[in-house]
Amino acid sequence: MRPLRSWLARRLLLGAAQTVAVVLLVFALTEALPGDAAVALAGDEPDPARVAAIRETMELDRPATARLLDWAAGLAHGDLGTSLVSRRPVSAYVADGFGPTLLLASLTVLLLVPAGVGLGVLAARHRGRLADRAISTVTLGVYAVPEFALGVLLVTVFALRLGWLPPTAVGYGTDLLGHPAALVLPVLVLLSRPVCSLARMVRAGMIEALASPYAAQARRYGIPGARIRYAHALPNAVAPAAQHLARTVDWLLCGVIVVEALFVIPGLGTVLMNAVAERDVPVVQGLAVVFGVITVVLNIGADLVTRGFAPRGEVTA
Amino acid sequence: MSAYLDGRPGRGAYAFALAIVAVPLALALFGPLFAGAPDPRATSFTLGGGHWLGTDFVGRDVWRQILLGGRPVVLTALAATALAYLVALPIGLTAALTHRGRLEELLIRPLDILLAVPSLLLILLVATVFTPGAAGLAPLVALANIPDAARLVRAAAAEAASRPAVEAMRLQGETWWRMGVGYVGRSILRTLAADAGIRLTGVLYLVATAAFLGVGVAPDAADWAVMVDRNRTGLFVQPWAVVVPALLIVALTTGSNLLFDAALDDGGRAERKNGRAERKNGRTERKKGKWT
Amino acid sequence: MDVNAVAEIKDLRVEIDGRAVVDNVSLSVAPGRITALVGPSGSGKTTTGLALLGEYPPGARVTGDVRVAEGLVGYVPQHPAAVLNPARRIGALLHDIARRQVRHPRRSERRAEARERVLAALAQAQLPDAEALLHRYPHQLSGGQQQRVVLAQALLLGARVVVADEPTTGQDALTKRRVVERLSAVAERGIAVVLLSHDLDVVRALADEVVVMRAGRVVESAPAERMWTAPAHPWTRTLLAARPTTPPSTPPGDVPRDKRQAGEATPGPGTPGLRVRGLAARHGATTVLRTAGLTVRSGTCLAVVGRSGSGKTTLARCLAGLHRDHDGEVLLDDSPLPRSLRSRTREQLAAVQYVFQDARAAFDEHRPVLDQVARTASRLRGAAPATARAEAEATLNGLGLAPDLVRRLPGQLSGGELQRAALARALLARPRVLVCDEVTSGLDPITRRDILDRLIALPRDHTDLALILITHDLDAAALATRIAVLEAGELIEQGPAHQVLTTPSHPFTADLTRAWSALT
Repeated sequence: MRPLRSWLARRLLLGAAQTVAVVLLVFALTEALPGDAAVALAGDEPDPARVAAIRETMELDRPATARLLDWAAGLAHGDLGTSLVSRRPVSAYVADGFGPTLLLASLTVLLLVPAGVGLGVLAARHRGRLADRAISTVTLGVYAVPEFALGVLLVTVFALRLGWLPPTAVGYGTDLLGHPAALVLPVLVLLSRPVCSLARMVRAGMIEALASPYAAQARRYGIPGARIRYAHALPNAVAPAAQHLARTVDWLLCGVIVVEALFVIPGLGTVLMNAVAERDVPVVQGLAVVFGVITVVLNIGADLVTRGFAPRGEVTA
Repeated sequence: MSAYLDGRPGRGAYAFALAIVAVPLALALFGPLFAGAPDPRATSFTLGGGHWLGTDFVGRDVWRQILLGGRPVVLTALAATALAYLVALPIGLTAALTHRGRLEELLIRPLDILLAVPSLLLILLVATVFTPGAAGLAPLVALANIPDAARLVRAAAAEAASRPAVEAMRLQGETWWRMGVGYVGRSILRTLAADAGIRLTGVLYLVATAAFLGVGVAPDAADWAVMVDRNRTGLFVQPWAVVVPALLIVALTTGSNLLFDAALDDGGRAERKNGRAERKNGRTERKKGKWT
Repeated sequence: MDVNAVAEIKDLRVEIDGRAVVDNVSLSVAPGRITALVGPSGSGKTTTGLALLGEYPPGARVTGDVRVAEGLVGYVPQHPAAVLNPARRIGALLHDIARRQVRHPRRSERRAEARERVLAALAQAQLPDAEALLHRYPHQLSGGQQQRVVLAQALLLGARVVVADEPTTGQDALTKRRVVERLSAVAERGIAVVLLSHDLDVVRALADEVVVMRAGRVVESAPAERMWTAPAHPWTRTLLAARPTTPPSTPPGDVPRDKRQAGEATPGPGTPGLRVRGLAARHGATTVLRTAGLTVRSGTCLAVVGRSGSGKTTLARCLAGLHRDHDGEVLLDDSPLPRSLRSRTREQLAAVQYVFQDARAAFDEHRPVLDQVARTASRLRGAAPATARAEAEATLNGLGLAPDLVRRLPGQLSGGELQRAALARALLARPRVLVCDEVTSGLDPITRRDILDRLIALPRDHTDLALILITHDLDAAALATRIAVLEAGELIEQGPAHQVLTTPSHPFTADLTRAWSALT
């Protein structure tokens, strides 16, 4: 087994390199703007005053390296820049949107693990029978469906036809916890893809583990079925699934953007989409860095979890 | 991996998947042929009045928009998948077959870093700066897929290239072409085919989602995803303009995923029948030199 | 029938798809006795052994009786790691079995008693330092420890019968010796051991009863002494004869000389051939092999022996240019060879050829064997395609592979046939040095004997050829001219074969040869 400390050091180094690279990438993209960046960003009919304002805010007159260094130094201190549109600091935008997004994401992850593992184990237990075939087909089918399509269909059925749930979160502001009914559909939609993939991974892992020589030996020696399933097979099935959770982070971020747009929730995704629509580059840059860093951190966390489950140390940094 | 896919009868799975995917696919491929000339604009969000599925947010016939709106989704997805492989294949193969560690690092490290950026975020970032048109969405989605595809190609090719069969060919003084393409290329074909199916579904997802968020499409484009977005405001008055395109997107993505899975299942079964699956134990310590 | 028997099989017949893989097999094992089922792969010995565990291949139709006292049977597979759950510590694995044996009303007492039983079982299985072991994961144990843990599981279960499936396959003499000791210790506890093996040395050392199987039937069954001294069935005699005992000094007259080689002006025996100078090979940052000097003269055979992990395969790969991460020089006729295959010329490639351990993995499964073999002649000697095919076919036929067989895909050939085809592929280059890496491991005794005989004849018939046999099998090494012994990456001894085997100078070699002669 590779010593944990050296593995962790290398994994953190990779994470740091990824963070730096995200910052560079985000900066480079704006540098790649054709022609005069200020004119390009000012819209279809550039108003000279606006062009000048953009040029001043983004300090386009200074050399790129100096701007990059300033920006990076600012990032290190939590200063994400200033909006071109409102002149508010970008960190204020992040602070506004952070609450609802964090709520959505944590609710989803909280429900994801029991739901995914439960469905996977259930399917594996009834392998080949109706329950398994139903779970397998549905998870395989739903897994590929874009959140927005599933979301509008759910809204049509549960909000429009049945009237059980509110169609959007309009009017609730950031106080979503006070209106739990408004959270049901967003969380359900956000869960749809990760639950399917997790359930499929767990099912496959369980079936493989139950068919392994070590499970056969355990049965041979009279160990009860439930114990083989949960104490012997499940840990082996969860290891690859945990690693897969890292990829789910990517989906969750995509999902959050879509779900916030669909249900009009004022989170980070909505802030990002508004900034994209207004071509408010500093806000987009700042949010991209925030999202990028979150992804890097969550990936490191997922790798750590996987390592805990797979003592053979198959995870490489 | 075989356990992943068992338990469902092959024939039935195929038929089921085909039945689901047939309608959206037929509409996407042949719909534009039957669309005809545009009618004069009517009132927004009406039902009836000579319009089978009513009218949309600017008073166009929804059925006509549906006939026209599948093609861009499917074509963009196909183009993006092809484009992703066009770039990923040479990168992955070169990285796997080169014995120069530097070159491999140079090719793969940037991709590792690109992987840290969520794909939709990458697309949104580029979209903010460049405002890509309809033709720009495919390269964008491809870009988001290249890191993963290249890594997959490299892993599969490196595994094949480290087998004794390749070393035996080297000892015979075989040509690079016979080893790299004749053997390694052929060996990874099945992996690539399986991945292409999965990737196409993922690309369909990204293309539709990006279009829904307004990236790379005109605000009034005839596109199922755009229709869902733009007609949402009239959901309570005229649900068809949202529900029908949403259902078609669900059917397209679900059906294609089920279809590729059934094909993969079949391939896996054929492979097992040939008895190739038993052979995996022979490759042992050989990889170390290259990997650590 | 037999009142003493703890397990009995009567008229067992196992059919898969209408074909009998085991037919009319009867067997009875007594406590404390070791019964060996021997036979080549496909003879039905594994199916018979697993029947004692009540396990059959999927879809099998079974008739006959299998009776085991109290139904408790332990199982020791070829790879013990496979039956040890990688995600559970040794303590947890053993406690799972122990807790089912303990029926105490109080929970804490139950725990304590289970723990005592686990420690006792580990002690009985000769595993010292049990406390530390309980906290380890299976992959942190050596192969020997893993096997002992599996035995401890069987002891803990209270098994009356233990089925050991090929427990020594692919092991060196020292490890084999330890396995033999472990299994006889199990038998001494009054447990019946059923040994499934094609390793006749181990069977000789252990078995009280021998059952010879072939094609699903029992050919002969007798007490061990009678079986070795007076085998009744001709097939048994063939099987027992399949031990390479011919010394290398037999005159080469009985093997037809290869015509192609005869006319060429070639360096005779005694010319330097291949030399290694100051070799130090690395995997990543760790040096895994150090060899100060090693010479193989043309017309002779060098056996490189050592345990798995001793660095012998790395040495072979350095010679062949397959492992280029090393210092020092490999010289052929006093001129250094480039380290990497990619920098060797055609002549240099042809001069040093290599035969892989896993013949199946060394062929492209999509092209017929003949096509692949013929490429050697066309790429390395510039032969025209038709000539190359004709030469390849002649060489393959010379190694006993029929013309219609070599036109098939590798998947349709057996392991032994493919290994001969791989040999033909290397010989077609007319090499000066032929490196064979464990080419006979995993083959049944008769095929192994056949391939070894062919290999040993090579340097006798081609006096310009130097043969290097990488092996853990001292029986095979005994046929060589010289032997080099590797241990933990160091070349600890080299010399004439009989000298190394009879009067070893290094203590490790002495251990190795002692274990070997104890088994022979």
